Amino acid sequence: MKRALSAGPVLRLLLLALLGIFFLQSCASAPSATTGLSATSATTGSTREALPTESSAPAEASATSATTRSSLTTGSHIVIFHSNDVHGKIDNFAKVAAILDAERKSGADVFFFSAGDNFSGDPVTDLYDPPGEPMLELLGRLGLNVLTPGNHEFDYGMGAMRKFAARFPTVSSNIEPQPGAFPELRPWVVLTAKDGTKIVVFGVIQIEPDNKIPSTHPDKVKDLRFSEPLAKALEMKKLRASGQVLIGLTHIGHEQDLLLARQMPELDVIVGGHSHTRVDPAENVNGVLVAQAGSDNLFLGRIDLLLKNGRVVEKKGRLIDLSQARDEDATIKAMIAKFHQNPALARVIAKAPMEITGKSALGNLMTDAIRQAHNLDIAFQNNGGIRLNRLPMVITLNNVYTLEPFGNQIVQFVMTPAEIRSLIKSSYEKRHEIDLQVSGITYIVRIDSARQVKDIKLNNPDGSPLAEDRTYTVGLSSYIASSYKFDHQDPGRSLQATVNEDLIRYLQSGVDLGVYRDVRRAFLEKAVESSQH
Amino acid sequence: MQIKVNEQTIEIFAGARVRDVLRKYSRAEWTLVQKKEKKVSDSHGHEVGLDGELRGGEELVIKACSPAEPRS
Repeated sequence: MKRALSAGPVLRLLLLALLGIFFLQSCASAPSATTGLSATSATTGSTREALPTESSAPAEASATSATTRSSLTTGSHIVIFHSNDVHGKIDNFAKVAAILDAERKSGADVFFFSAGDNFSGDPVTDLYDPPGEPMLELLGRLGLNVLTPGNHEFDYGMGAMRKFAARFPTVSSNIEPQPGAFPELRPWVVLTAKDGTKIVVFGVIQIEPDNKIPSTHPDKVKDLRFSEPLAKALEMKKLRASGQVLIGLTHIGHEQDLLLARQMPELDVIVGGHSHTRVDPAENVNGVLVAQAGSDNLFLGRIDLLLKNGRVVEKKGRLIDLSQARDEDATIKAMIAKFHQNPALARVIAKAPMEITGKSALGNLMTDAIRQAHNLDIAFQNNGGIRLNRLPMVITLNNVYTLEPFGNQIVQFVMTPAEIRSLIKSSYEKRHEIDLQVSGITYIVRIDSARQVKDIKLNNPDGSPLAEDRTYTVGLSSYIASSYKFDHQDPGRSLQATVNEDLIRYLQSGVDLGVYRDVRRAFLEKAVESSQH
Repeated sequence: MQIKVNEQTIEIFAGARVRDVLRKYSRAEWTLVQKKEKKVSDSHGHEVGLDGELRGGEELVIKACSPAEPRS
């Protein structure tokens, strides 16, 4: 190695030529070109390091062994694969495993990062017992090196999140847990490459502007506090001296990643998530490589870093379209097949004394579940979103997901009776029939002979008219909230829960399902028209 | 929150996803996106998923898929 370093300009030119060849090639075919560049001297694979404290960071950097130091002066190649917003979609992990394995076998220094939201979005993962287990097992097999939690990592509750964090190094610098609430979480971690290169990775998670928590149900994160992600990320500039590579592993969305890159040139790379953006190739912004790999496990991100003299001298990122990948890892494929035979889907969650039949009865059940879950005054469900005509007496999880297969979220509005009428009127005018099932009130749409709405009566369940001088909290599915035209002063906000989640909880609560006979709460009535002479 | 779609400002509930904004913007355009005849990108030209989570002030652009482009 010393000979190589002292060989002077000729060898340096040769090295530069080799660098050029490496970056002219497709990253996927890089290994053969990298062999001569990655002067790997360490014998162990990627290892985790204890966290540096603020004061100890420079000391750790200077403690690099002599062997390592010499390898860093020649050049090394690090490959980081990354995914984000997988949302429970496990099917392509057999392809991901084959890609990672091939790269590892080539001798490259390979890491695998997750930028959050592995949970929520597929019943195979969401309804497993325990929830999320398929993701945990598969990411373990894939050798995940570091994870930053996304907002949906909290959807199964802190127990599932902590189990995840106990298995994989989990970083987020703007989550501030109450004492004992999340001891597995670290603000950052240092990963060590084979040649001793230290890769410092810190995390940040998005928060909503109004409630300052991530987009999940508030109960799920009640023992955690959150600070502004960009401000906290900027504090991580202090980590620059702790390693040769500084990476922000973020779950704040691509627009925020760009803002961060513009304000923090100390970063080498941002690996992002949350906005489901396909950044291909990765963007170079203010000298920072900004990457994100779409969503739903359709793409795998790949970043190639070339280091020389202890700093990153070249960096590139691109996405691998997994639909075009052919090789699959047989073991992972078998695991996926097993997870698909999820016995939880057939699990009985409630028994009714009769079949629950018809849009009215099923709509009543769904809207009661929504209203109770969020302590709302009123809830509506459109007929088009009720995809079964009957629920059997023995109700399974699978029945619930067939009844509402869309995964619609609940959106809350504060509405006046006049605004509620405008919603009902709009729904009636779609097909000139009752379209919205309801909980919390009953209503009558009175129409004339031309089927035009004359008026709408809103009543409390006891038959008394709704008070006109107050507002009501109203829960709508995200489909109604976004596709129905109605008056509303309140812009509304997602309650970060789905109709299915509310319905499963309601059915499991042991509620008397005997009340869901075909009892109607919404009526169409022809107004009596006086003849004019 | 406000999201711009093809330069038109759409007022939508907080926590809305890309699919919610598209449905509110235009039923016809939303149908074409569902059929994969059109795709959705951010203001930088990067394609975004329909369940992508949004912040107020972001911009979306709906455009036709070019014939050679895979409809992913």
